[in-house]
Amino acid sequence: MATREAGKKMIMLKSPDGMEFEVEEAVAMESQTIRKMIEDDCADTAILIPNINSKILSRVIEYCNKHVPTTGATGAAASDTVAPAALAEDLKIWDAEFIKVNRATRFNLIQAASYLNIKGLLDLTSQTTIDTISDNSLEEIRSFLSTKNDYLPEEEQTIRRENQWAFQ
Amino acid sequence: MAEAASAEEAAPLHPGLPDEIFIWEVLVRLPPKALLRCRTVCRAWRRATSARDFLLAHHALQPALPLLYVHNYVGDNIESLDIVPFDRRAGVAADDQLRPVARLGQGPFRAIASCDGLLVFSNDCRFSLCNPATRQYARLPVPPGFVPLGMYSHSPTGKYRLLLYKLSTGPAPDAQGGSYVLVLGSGQPPRCIGCPDARELVFSPSVLFRGGLHWHREQNERIVVFDTTTELFRHMCVPVVSRCTNLFEMDGMLGVSSFNYAAATIDIWMAQDYESEVWSNKHHVELPVAELTMRFGRFNRHGFGVVASSDGHLLMLLKFSDWLLQVDMDGKLVASFHCKDLAYTRFWLKQTLVSHTFFPTLEHYVVNASPFI
Repeated sequence: MATREAGKKMIMLKSPDGMEFEVEEAVAMESQTIRKMIEDDCADTAILIPNINSKILSRVIEYCNKHVPTTGATGAAASDTVAPAALAEDLKIWDAEFIKVNRATRFNLIQAASYLNIKGLLDLTSQTTIDTISDNSLEEIRSFLSTKNDYLPEEEQTIRRENQWAFQ
Repeated sequence: MAEAASAEEAAPLHPGLPDEIFIWEVLVRLPPKALLRCRTVCRAWRRATSARDFLLAHHALQPALPLLYVHNYVGDNIESLDIVPFDRRAGVAADDQLRPVARLGQGPFRAIASCDGLLVFSNDCRFSLCNPATRQYARLPVPPGFVPLGMYSHSPTGKYRLLLYKLSTGPAPDAQGGSYVLVLGSGQPPRCIGCPDARELVFSPSVLFRGGLHWHREQNERIVVFDTTTELFRHMCVPVVSRCTNLFEMDGMLGVSSFNYAAATIDIWMAQDYESEVWSNKHHVELPVAELTMRFGRFNRHGFGVVASSDGHLLMLLKFSDWLLQVDMDGKLVASFHCKDLAYTRFWLKQTLVSHTFFPTLEHYVVNASPFI
């Protein structure tokens, strides 16, 4: 889609299960990976997004649609003229709803956000896992993740002592 | 002992996520203390969270937060000092906004430089280096009569260096003042780089921006810049001449705030074009000092600062008696924090868990021992 005409430029994203999604170029460019492809002129009529199925890809597009800066007629970002605090609050509520998904979907979204390099989506999707690790004891983390403690008791004590202040 | 786990390499670190993603997208975003705790989960987690490239990426994601202190008094004496990164980012719980990272005893300490999560403290004419996140502390090899002006990573060599000033001891040629560079971990004495007029920078805080340390002295119409690659000084123009100014960086731009005490106004200028030294006045803020004094007590004219927070907002901080106030660009009160003996510094702290080979070679090196409490 190398056309440089006025109006909103569209781009086609294809998932490996054969679904096609037509999105505005600006929305697709929320992904730094796609932005780079477009800027390097590697984007043809359609971009195949490997490893991300249509169900996840449609959620990612939904996120990008919501988070793309609104543009005025001149093409300049208008988000800073539309009460930024209210806009940010609205996005926060929307994000909280968006992330109410099951674990498997959340993990798929983390992987998609990582591949497509969408910082906001990565921060949002990884936060629950980060909180789980930050807010729970070692025993709880091990039990949640069925991780086996392979330290000898005295080794664990040594490592705990080395990082003692982190447990206070 | 870590090698013993090779047989378990196949087990993922986190079920449901490829290790690549879990390490580089999740673990890397953990707060420093949580990351240290993770090392105790199992061997594989410890390996993943101890690698140097991982810790560098983790440091890069840490927010640079305004550095505050709390002095803890016993009677009239300062008994200890809390190192407090002021975290006003969205989503940070109220209790965590002024949570200390470490406490140092044997005061009084004073931060005189901050670089990549490392703080240079002056304590009783001695200078030391402190990493509050890893609780490392050591004496800096600064010879008597020298004072650090700043610390930086010298990009051509990747070594940390100190910019020092040697105070003049008399009129004789070898007793003249001058600037020196000290390479940490080299065991070499400081090397003279000239510039005897850098005396004015002693105990003046600097800001690292585009590879240069920047200082703005009171009532001076120029900023002194030390290029950390070429190790040469230069000057740049600044539009404000005021007694109380503050340099900061925001959105890749250098900013200067100037405080007019008599008029109770703050002007904020940004270097629109850094190379051409083109500045523009972005904000003119009128502070309701009388009203705030009524509510919070005496205004501390030195306790003023404008800093850019990590999420791209300007934070304007004012000290009134036992209160730290945050006001917005209209001079309106946004938040107030009651905290006795809270002091404001002109430095930022971007926490790091990266270990540096030079650190343990320094004199009086300790980890989580005195002066840490």
